Amino acid sequence: MQRTSFLLGALSGITVVANADHIFAQALAASPLPGLPGGANRTLLLINLQGGNDGLNCVVPHGNPDYYRVRPSLAIAQNQVLAIDAQLGFNPQMRALKALYDKGSVAVVQGVGYPDPDHSHFRSTEIWQTAAPDKYLHTGWLGRYMDEAGLPAENLFNGVALSQVLPEVMVAAKTDVPAIPSERGYGLISDRNAASRATYTQVVRDARQPFTSPYLSHVMEIEDHSQRGSQELPKLIAGYKPAGNYPATALGRSLSLAAQIVGSKLGTKVIYVQHGSFDTHVSQVQTQNRLLGEFSDAIAAFYADLAAHGSDGDVLTMTFSEFGRRIQENGSRGTDHGEASPLFLIGGNVKGGMYGTPPDLSNTSNGNVTFGTDFRSVYATVLERWLGKPSQKILGGSFATLPVLS
Amino acid sequence: MANVDVAGIHRPAGPLDAAGALRPYAGPWNERWAAHLLRRAGFGGSPDEIRALAALPVSDAVASLIHFPSTANMPQPADVFDPVAFVRSQFAGQRPGEMTDDQKRERNKGLRMQERQSVLSLQAWWLDRMLNSPAPLQEKMALYFHGHFTSAAIQKGVTPPMVLAQNQLFRSNALGNVRELTRSVSKDPAMLIYLDNALNVSSHPNENYARELMELFTLGVDHYTENDVRESARAWSGWTVFRRTGEAGFVASRHDDGTKTFLGKTGNFNGDDVVDIIFEQPQAATFFAGSLLNYFVYNDPEPALVDAVAALIRKHDFALAPVMSTLLRSQVFFSERAYRALVKSPAEFVVGAHKALGLKVLDPSAQRGMNQMGQILFYPPNVAGWPGGQNWVTSQMVIARQNYIAGLMNSQVMSQSSWLPSVPMTAQPAAAALIASILQGDASPLASAQLAGYLNGTGESAMGMLSGENRDERVRGAAYLTMAMPAFQLA
Repeated sequence: MQRTSFLLGALSGITVVANADHIFAQALAASPLPGLPGGANRTLLLINLQGGNDGLNCVVPHGNPDYYRVRPSLAIAQNQVLAIDAQLGFNPQMRALKALYDKGSVAVVQGVGYPDPDHSHFRSTEIWQTAAPDKYLHTGWLGRYMDEAGLPAENLFNGVALSQVLPEVMVAAKTDVPAIPSERGYGLISDRNAASRATYTQVVRDARQPFTSPYLSHVMEIEDHSQRGSQELPKLIAGYKPAGNYPATALGRSLSLAAQIVGSKLGTKVIYVQHGSFDTHVSQVQTQNRLLGEFSDAIAAFYADLAAHGSDGDVLTMTFSEFGRRIQENGSRGTDHGEASPLFLIGGNVKGGMYGTPPDLSNTSNGNVTFGTDFRSVYATVLERWLGKPSQKILGGSFATLPVLS
Repeated sequence: MANVDVAGIHRPAGPLDAAGALRPYAGPWNERWAAHLLRRAGFGGSPDEIRALAALPVSDAVASLIHFPSTANMPQPADVFDPVAFVRSQFAGQRPGEMTDDQKRERNKGLRMQERQSVLSLQAWWLDRMLNSPAPLQEKMALYFHGHFTSAAIQKGVTPPMVLAQNQLFRSNALGNVRELTRSVSKDPAMLIYLDNALNVSSHPNENYARELMELFTLGVDHYTENDVRESARAWSGWTVFRRTGEAGFVASRHDDGTKTFLGKTGNFNGDDVVDIIFEQPQAATFFAGSLLNYFVYNDPEPALVDAVAALIRKHDFALAPVMSTLLRSQVFFSERAYRALVKSPAEFVVGAHKALGLKVLDPSAQRGMNQMGQILFYPPNVAGWPGGQNWVTSQMVIARQNYIAGLMNSQVMSQSSWLPSVPMTAQPAAAALIASILQGDASPLASAQLAGYLNGTGESAMGMLSGENRDERVRGAAYLTMAMPAFQLA
C-alpha cells in the first residue's frame, strides 16, 4: 500500500511536469494580455552579478575625458574599448556579447537604481530582490510573480535557482523553488538497503510531531520535494543534448543546465543564476575583466545552444547587480560601493540598443552615479511585456514600462 | 525605516511572557531539556552526556557549561603552513624581480595548494574540538563569532596561521567582553586583510572595514550615516599587515591625524575611540541582544525580549559570561517556544550526528559533507557569514544532509559507536531506542511505525526479520532513517 502510493506520487509528478506546457497555454489563454504570442514557453533567466559590478568599466564612457581623469589607474584605454559609438563601448573582455549586441539581441539600460540608495551589499541586494526599497518584505519579486501566475502547484520546477542557497528573489508564499547548484549532487544516494528510499518518504512526511517548530512545515515540505524532484529532474532533462561550446566556468556549467531545463520544456518560468564576486575594492581590472569575460562567453554559448534547439526566442536574460561603484577610484586600484549602474536584457523579444541615461561624471550623487531609471520600471517591463502579468500588485506600485521589449 | 510589513515568520507561534522571560527556569528538568541545552550551548550530546547533565540540578547543568574547564591541554594543530615564512626561507636572497613571471606563477600555485591542504587540516582540528572539547560552549561561541566577525582564508592573502590566530582569538574571548573582542578583532591580521583595512591610508581611505564594523558587527543598517562610515575609515587609517612577517601593525605616517566627527562626537579619534563610541550607542546592546537570541534561542525574537536582553547586556557592560548564564537558564530558553525552534547549521548537524551515535573519532568525509551542505569552516560565503535559518533548508542542502548520513553509516568510525551495538534485537524496542537516543522521542507515530517495520523487514520488500546476521546493517539503516526525520534537522 505504501509502496503503491509512493510510486503513484512519483508517476503523477512526471505526468504533470510533462504536461506543464499545455497547462500554461491554457492558463494564459484564459487571461491573455494583448500582444503576447507564444507566452507559454517563455522563461526569464535572471543573472545576479553579485558584489556590485562597476558600470563605468563595463559599459565604458570612452568619449568622456572625465572618465580618464577619475580613473587614472583603472580606465580602459580608448583603443581597447569595444566601441559602440563615439561615446560608449563594452569592456574589452566582452567580445562575444558585443557580437550579440551588433546583431540586435542585447539592450543596455544605463543608470538603473532607486531613490536613497543603500551602500550595504546585503540591504541593497535585498532591495533589488524584494523590489522594496522602503520596507522589508519576506518574498522576492519573482516569488510574488510565481504566486500570482497561477502556475500548476504539482510542478516542482515552476522556478529553479541554480545556486546552493535559495535567493530572496525566488522566495514565494505559495511556490517552492528548488535550489540546484548542479545536476550532480542533486539526488539521494541509494542505500545498500533498497527499502530506505521508500521508507524515507514515509518517515519524513507525518506532521503529527510531539513538538512544534516554526520551521517544521518548511523542513517537511523541502524534504518531500527534494526527494521527488531529485528523482525526476535527471529523467526529465536527459533527452536534451547541449549544443553550445560552454566555457569551463561555474557560470558556463550553470547556463548549460539552464538550457537543458528550458529545452526540456518543464514549464519553468524563471531561472536564477549567480556570478561574481564583483566586489572589487582592490585590483579591480584583473577581477572584473575576468568575470565580464566569463559572463560574455557563457551567454554566447547559452544562446548558441538554444538556437541549435530552436528555442533561443524563448529565453529573456536579465542581469542585475546590487549597485555600481564609486566614480573616483580608491588608493588600492579598486573602487568602493556606489549607486546606479547599467543592466543587460538579452534575447527574447529584446529591441537591441542603448536605453536609460549615460553616467554623468560631473553631476554626481556624493561621488556616485545618479540613477535615471528606477529598477522597478525594468521589472514592470519584464513582467508585463515578457511574462505577461500585470506588475502593479507584484511590485506594490505603478511603474512606467520601457520601450525595450517588443 | 522601521516599516516591517510582515511579522517574523520564523518566530514561534503564540504569546511570549515577556516579563518572566529571563527569570530562572523552574519547570521539569529531564533528558529532553538537557539535550536541548547541549544542542544550543554546544553541538548536541551523546546519550551518556545527556544522562549525566540531566542528573545535575538545572542551575548546575548551566553553570558547568558557562564555567568550563581549561582547554589549554587539548591538542594544537600540527604543521600549519605559513606561506610568508616559507617564501622567506626558500627564496632568501632571491628578489622577486629576479624571477620570471612563469616562475612566480608556479611558485604561487604551489603555495595556494599547500595553504588549502593546511586549511583542510585546521577544519578537521576544529571539528574534533567541537566533538570532544570538555568546553562545548567555548567552541560554540567561537563558531558564533566566526560567522559574526567574518574573515575567510586564502582569498586576498589571508594565510592559514592568520585564520588559526583569529580562531584562537574567538576561543580565548568566548565569554569575555564583546567590546574588547571588537577592538582586538579590528587589529587582527586576517580581518585587516579580509576587509581591506590593511590598505586604508590617510591619502586614500578604504571604507570597507569601517562600513562592515557598524553594519554587520555592531549596530546594523540605519544606525549610522554615510558620513560616519567615511569618518570611521579616517580613524582606522594606518593599520596594516606587514607582508614580510604577516603581523599587524600601526604606521603613524599613514594615519589621518585630523579631527573627525563620528556618531555625533568630534575629536582626533583613532580606531579604539571609534569602537568605544559605537559601544556607547544604545543600539549596540540591542544589536547583540538580537544576534544572541537569534543564534541561541529562536529567530525573529520579539522586540520586548530583545529589549530585556539588551538591558542585561548593558547592565554587565558587554561581558558575555553573565549574559549567557542568565539567557541559558531562563524560562524563555527552556520553553516550548524555543524547543526545536532553530535549524541546525551543517556544523551542528555533522558534529551532532557523531555525538548522537556516541562517536569520538571524526569521520574523514565530514568536511566534504559540510561543503555540500553549504558550510565550509574558514570560508564563509561573504562578510555577512552564513545566513542560517531557512537558508540551511534548500532541496540541495537537505539532500546533502541525507547523503552525508548514508556515507557516515558506511564509515569505518561507525564500529566505535558507544551504543548502536547494544540496540535490542527486536524491532519495536530497537526503533524506540533509536528514537529515544537520537531524537529524544521527537518522532511522529507514522515514522515510529515505519522505522519498526523497516527493522523487521516488512513493507515493500521481504528482507527478513531482524537477526544476528543482518542486525548491524539494519540498525545502521534505521539510524539513517531516524536522522532523516524532521526533528533531527532542528536544534
